[in-house]
Amino acid sequence: MKLKYLYFIFLMSVVLLLASCQDEEYSIPSAGTDLQNDCIKRSLGPNVVGLNIEFAYAMALPKDKGKLVSAQVDATIAGANGTYLENRSFYTNSSGVDVGVTVGNPSVTNGTKTEVTFAKDTCASTLRYFYTIPEEARGKSVSFKFSAKDSNGKTVSYDMGPYTVAKMDMKLDMVLSDNNNMYFSIADMAVMNAATAAANPSKVDLVYLYRSYTTVTFLHALVSPANAEYLPDVTLPSGASNSTLFWKVYGLRDQQLARLQYGIYVDDLDFTEQNFTGAPNYGINMKAESGAWVETADGTYRAYVFVNKVDNTKKEMTISVKRYKIK
Amino acid sequence: MKKYLLTISAVLLALWAWVGCTDFPVDEDGLLITTRGECYVSNFELLGSDFQTVRTKAAVIDTTAQTINVEVFYGTDLKNLWPQFSLVTDAKLDPKITGRVDFSDLANPKKWTVISGNRKVQKPYTVFVTVQAKP
Repeated sequence: MKLKYLYFIFLMSVVLLLASCQDEEYSIPSAGTDLQNDCIKRSLGPNVVGLNIEFAYAMALPKDKGKLVSAQVDATIAGANGTYLENRSFYTNSSGVDVGVTVGNPSVTNGTKTEVTFAKDTCASTLRYFYTIPEEARGKSVSFKFSAKDSNGKTVSYDMGPYTVAKMDMKLDMVLSDNNNMYFSIADMAVMNAATAAANPSKVDLVYLYRSYTTVTFLHALVSPANAEYLPDVTLPSGASNSTLFWKVYGLRDQQLARLQYGIYVDDLDFTEQNFTGAPNYGINMKAESGAWVETADGTYRAYVFVNKVDNTKKEMTISVKRYKIK
Repeated sequence: MKKYLLTISAVLLALWAWVGCTDFPVDEDGLLITTRGECYVSNFELLGSDFQTVRTKAAVIDTTAQTINVEVFYGTDLKNLWPQFSLVTDAKLDPKITGRVDFSDLANPKKWTVISGNRKVQKPYTVFVTVQAKP
């Protein structure tokens, strides 16, 4: 019994000793003595072809050790037109505005490499890199190697990625108007007028119409050509008969489509996970900032249609669409 | 030491036995069966696939006739509606609502039974859906 007490006291002493250990006080880390670098990815959400992936690449060395000579980014897949590395270093002023200070020559892109040569005598800089996602990268992964060189010939590098590029397509701000450009094709991601729709009736997936009644709320509607019930006074192009499945959604304000403050993103996985069993083929009284999950009659495409705005006077609806090929 | 341990154990056992003997009856769903005999629907909501209401006005709940009359907007997809019942305290609903419900067969309205907190009173409610007239 006595031995047990001793063990207990010993254990308690150890616990007390550990608990009484003080944390080390914080101290400002000392700066490195050589050229060093760091990088962050600034853009959020799925990487869609045609959009940018944005990075901020920082590099610095002590003032008395030399200056920066060049900064370079090497992507595993060459960026599309519009890919560039900033030649300005930004600081945020007292009003919270980012102000650019030119530190080098405009970037030169050669194949997968984009380079900025410094023109100012600077020892610290943060350059932004905008990689415009090319068509070749669709569904693939892309990685980046950022590197910087100083006047001593020393080089540092920083690897970012891999980042998966989404398979989906995206098209923004298509305007549908009642009795004019009222046909929408998901396969073409395009708005059609009566003449174009008459030439391609099989491509008409949705028909836009605006109706204002005193007894019911109809207003802005997207209806499949197959559903005559909700296409009052609409004469469809001969042969337009697709039944497009249509789940109305409210509150899914995809950031890339809506460009609003909401951090919600529709990604490839969302399309494959959708279940269209029992879905209707129309949606009436569509409101601004609402949307719909859509599947084409042949099941080839699924899309998310977001309503950016509606105009009761002009009888118009502006939509932005993300589309995914299922088969 | 032995004496202390024995005393503590005895007290704990007595406490455990006392707590264990108190009766808290639960039903087959693990819900507490109480003494309440009230059995009615206090509010009714009907949501579309976008989780927005499809009612044109508040549903009329008749607790005597045990009916709920609700009018929905013209163009409502009756096959995919999500009914929501608010019940009196401790009551439960049978069958449970686990997903979208098909209300499209207007001739055969859907029925749900409200079961009171003491599980002794059961009242079936019939939900009559009407659609706004076509313009």
